[in-house]
Amino acid sequence: DSHIQYERVGADVTMKCGSMDWDAAVTWTANGTDIDESHLNGSYLILKNVDLTQSGQYSCYEGSSWHLKYQTYLRVGMPPKEPVLMCRSNNYPKGFYCSWHLSAPTYIPNSFNISVIHVTREMVCEKDVFPKNRCHIRYLQLFSTVKYKVTLTVTNALGKNSTTVTFDEFAIVKPDPPESVVAKPVPNNPRRLEVSWQNPSSWPDPESFPLKFFLRYRPLILDQWQHVELSDGTSHTITDAYAGKEYIIQVAAKDNDIGTWSDWSVAVHATPWTEEPKHLTTEAQVTETTSASTSSFMPPPTTKICDKGAVVGSGAVAVCWTAGLVLAAYGVLFI
Amino acid sequence: GDSWGIFTFLCAALCNLPALPALNCTEELGAGQSIQKTYDLTRYLEHQLRTLAGTYLNYLGPPFNEPDFNPPRLARAERVPSATVDLDLWRGLTDNARLAANYRAYSRLLCYLRALDGQAGTAELRHRLGHFCSSLQGLVLSIAGVMSSLGYPLPVGPAGPPAPPGTSVAPNDFLKKMDDFWLLKELQTWLWRSAKDFNRLKKKVPPAVVTLRLEARGF
Repeated sequence: DSHIQYERVGADVTMKCGSMDWDAAVTWTANGTDIDESHLNGSYLILKNVDLTQSGQYSCYEGSSWHLKYQTYLRVGMPPKEPVLMCRSNNYPKGFYCSWHLSAPTYIPNSFNISVIHVTREMVCEKDVFPKNRCHIRYLQLFSTVKYKVTLTVTNALGKNSTTVTFDEFAIVKPDPPESVVAKPVPNNPRRLEVSWQNPSSWPDPESFPLKFFLRYRPLILDQWQHVELSDGTSHTITDAYAGKEYIIQVAAKDNDIGTWSDWSVAVHATPWTEEPKHLTTEAQVTETTSASTSSFMPPPTTKICDKGAVVGSGAVAVCWTAGLVLAAYGVLFI
Repeated sequence: GDSWGIFTFLCAALCNLPALPALNCTEELGAGQSIQKTYDLTRYLEHQLRTLAGTYLNYLGPPFNEPDFNPPRLARAERVPSATVDLDLWRGLTDNARLAANYRAYSRLLCYLRALDGQAGTAELRHRLGHFCSSLQGLVLSIAGVMSSLGYPLPVGPAGPPAPPGTSVAPNDFLKKMDDFWLLKELQTWLWRSAKDFNRLKKKVPPAVVTLRLEARGF
């Protein structure tokens, strides 16, 4: 019969061959490979200072008959370190969730037990199917003055450890980031961008628990963000964008009165509307029809300037580069 | 009618408070505007309370000023009105009930706070408490103003805390400090709750109510 044996990394392990006498002649195998006699003390297998690579199936066979006398599965691992526990309410006032993880792997199976105490009562934290290390609680009462105390205990075959967090109902409120952030240029307005978004779908009651928003934006070429705080509404028009520059935009949300800001939303990119230079439009159409069958790559406007006219050869390249530099300098002046 | 009389009186009372900016008593505050002002007042008070509570708890000393301090609720602490309420019950409150709960709570909390005022340690602390009490009084009157402009009667009842004989004074210094701790905690929680209460009221009071009232007064 076989069983599982858990041992700590660095421990010395002695395996007995079942009920065989110490002086019996036996052969030990590890994952099917014979183990050298130097590791044996009589019929006992001695493994000193075990490491993770020594996990596996160990079998003991009687010397001459090769009968299997004992088999065990050795799992080398560690007792759990103090786990990391975090609780958050992204669906206020419905409830909150707690999630946890181990700061270091144990290499052996662990079981988790969570307890939530409020006033004198123990509340049930319903385990989520996915992700597994998460559970959620429904608030029975709102506006409580008594803190919640959550304790997580991790247990495995080699030991246990626990951690506790205590918090006020209001302190853990943090919505999910806003969803469906869209940024669009505004026709005929070279310095505007229209941004709109939606309340995070996890926030159950934006009517009674309105959210306020924080928008940040910057042109890709600069490092400094500009910020706007909006106490109402799910859209905003940026009116000071640099003409022709691509922008990166993000939005965050917070309950109007309590808790902390959400993480930033997914970033969206947008460039303000620019007027198409009219004399290039027909040129573009000609280039498109001739190159449409060869590739789908659209050369940027600067190359078109170079393509224009009968300029050919290396001289043309020099003209192209100069034109490009002049335009770049012009652009920098405007920033 | 009666509500107009009460409203004028309250307005006059508000005007006499030194801590508040002067109000033009001849302007009738629309219900929507009053709710917004009351909401703003709760946010202002919540902000003020953070500093005040920090200072006061430091004056009380450990363990009261420790961030993790989480004592069990003693029976005597039940005298302080609690903001805690069942979620569905809170959602289902009528506008009148919602406003009345706020009015009653702050009236009583104000009384308890005034009692603190007399005994607090430093002059600076007493000054801060005094200022806070004035602002809190402004909130009570503001709520009363909203109730009257919506035609709701002001809740009647004892202005002060009901004091069962023998329990009005804390038997020892530590329990007295516990009372102070819970008072500040409940006050803070009420201010958070009120922000939500007034958010709901803001959405629910229709502008039409204001128009009707103006017409009734012959404007």
